[in-house]
Amino acid sequence: MNPFSYSRPATEQEAFAALAEPGASALAGGTTLVDLMRLEVMRPDKVVDLSALPYAKIETRASSIMLGALASNTDVAYHPDVVAKLPALADAIRSGASGQIRNMASVSGNLLQRTRCSYFRDPASPCNKRAPGSGCAALEGFTRMHAVVGTSNDCIAAHPSDMCVALAALDAVVHLKSKAGARTVKLVEFHTLPDDHPNIESVLQPGELVTAIEVPTTPLAAKSRYVKVRDRASYAFALASAAVALDVQDGTIKDARVALGGVGTKPWREALVEQALVGQPATQATFEAAAHQALAKADTRPDNAFKVPLARRVIVRTLGLVAGGAK
Amino acid sequence: MPTPGCRVLAFARAWSPQRATSEELRAIRSHLRGLGAELVIVAADQAWRLRPDDDLFTLGELAARELHRDHGVKGEDAVLVLDHEHRIVFEHRQPTLDQPTLLASLTAATEAMLMPAPIAFTRRGWMQTCVVTGFATVVLASCRQHDHQDPVPEPAVAPPAPTHEIDITLDVNGQKRQLRVEPRVSLLDALRERLSLPGTKKGCDAGQCGACTVHIDGKRMLSCLTLAATAQGKPILTIEGLAKGGELHPVQKAFIAHDGMQCGFCTPGQIMSAVAVLADGRATSDAEIQEQMSGNICRCGAYPNILASIKSARDGGKAG
Repeated sequence: MNPFSYSRPATEQEAFAALAEPGASALAGGTTLVDLMRLEVMRPDKVVDLSALPYAKIETRASSIMLGALASNTDVAYHPDVVAKLPALADAIRSGASGQIRNMASVSGNLLQRTRCSYFRDPASPCNKRAPGSGCAALEGFTRMHAVVGTSNDCIAAHPSDMCVALAALDAVVHLKSKAGARTVKLVEFHTLPDDHPNIESVLQPGELVTAIEVPTTPLAAKSRYVKVRDRASYAFALASAAVALDVQDGTIKDARVALGGVGTKPWREALVEQALVGQPATQATFEAAAHQALAKADTRPDNAFKVPLARRVIVRTLGLVAGGAK
Repeated sequence: MPTPGCRVLAFARAWSPQRATSEELRAIRSHLRGLGAELVIVAADQAWRLRPDDDLFTLGELAARELHRDHGVKGEDAVLVLDHEHRIVFEHRQPTLDQPTLLASLTAATEAMLMPAPIAFTRRGWMQTCVVTGFATVVLASCRQHDHQDPVPEPAVAPPAPTHEIDITLDVNGQKRQLRVEPRVSLLDALRERLSLPGTKKGCDAGQCGACTVHIDGKRMLSCLTLAATAQGKPILTIEGLAKGGELHPVQKAFIAHDGMQCGFCTPGQIMSAVAVLADGRATSDAEIQEQMSGNICRCGAYPNILASIKSARDGGKAG
């Protein structure tokens, strides 16, 4: 691991200043940063430990839950209000990583975690995300775990988060703060597509901090689910996953949210599937027809083409679970 | 600080502190610290002692002469490694080095240090020799470079950024332990290499196997992905602190009773994880125990007995 200096700012203002410096990286739970520093994929000169900042609270408000940026994944996944009001989020977090990692990893760290692309994680491979302009080894490599939507000619790395898929479906909003003030960004607009700059992964600016993620507690969200398909029964990244929320009244779908994981270069909201559901009867036939709209423009390779039918089936299964076993 | 366990003697005629860069000294200190060793550099008519956390100490002309005489060194360069009983465990005279660069030597030494040590104690002695040789080579290589009129150009690699060692206090198994570390030192390495607590195991060192599981503030966490500096101010519990008053923890007893291990390497992590799963009330079913324990890999495949051990501990020691 490359040497670095360490600081633990006591106030937001100190943190903004420390993070605005070139070569600075923020440290929360450490499960991404320490791992990638040891692999020499990330080589910050300055590590800024955020643990002294007051961002660990989970606060239930009238129509939303505020997840503090430094709340642990475990704290969120087992919080009684999250379990009751945002079940897809609780399911998604519990399906990710291991008990130890969920205890360490923070909300903001999960949001900003780096891809598990094996070429990104190997400093000997060309990678436009790690070393801009060096090329992409994945394009001609093993791509079973890679993305099929949101890809570019420079990067096909999948976004690894489960949590973010549920948050994308549940219309979460990211709260940001910097010296210039506070702002909010919709979660679905927080991550950026790789295009020709895969090294830039979000709209977060240098010197800016994630302070919280706010999730609306709508009736829709209370009936949400997350289903994940992976190579092992536990402790594996998604091949395909779906977060679904439905509002069904008198057998008719009034409103729907569908987001996919494991298939996109960012958490992937499926607007076409949602449109195909609304106004239709909550039946298996509707679910199958709607799911067929998913990943319409997929950019597949022989290793990962299976993800398209798999993701569509995961959508159908999750819709069925949410609708309460509707045929 | 206590006298370090082993000593490296580097006979290097051309060395002088004025020629040594602070980066070289810092790098050498860092390796000495990891090893618990001290370095004595002996030039033609002067000798210095370097310990990890002390300034360079001048031993004097007489010491230089005595060291040359005692070790039979007459005008050549040499590296000797002495163990804690002053026995020579490594000797290399008139080294014909391939002009290794400072950085390359340091990298080799660091890699030797980071190698997993499945058989902790016997392997460690061997590793110490490797590492000691690595940084002794560094000293000699840097001396060689100073011999030349035209200095060898620096390798086209950026020099390591300056490190800022920090003094930290860790609360481990109810004891306050003070140490000075580089910020990059993991809690796992601090426990094993600095605090003589090798019960916590280094498996993958990448957060994937769970062998390094400890409790921080009552929660199971991975010590390999925790920087020691960030573990300050929170109680840390390792496998060494689990037994109370000479009596094993019920989970330890259950692992013995149900043979919850084969080779035993993953066992400290399995037990620390299991204790936390039980304390959190999440050992509600076989499936849930398996799900909760999925971050602890057992390459021997002792999973059925690990599950039986955890159920037995949950049910108060009854057969699982």
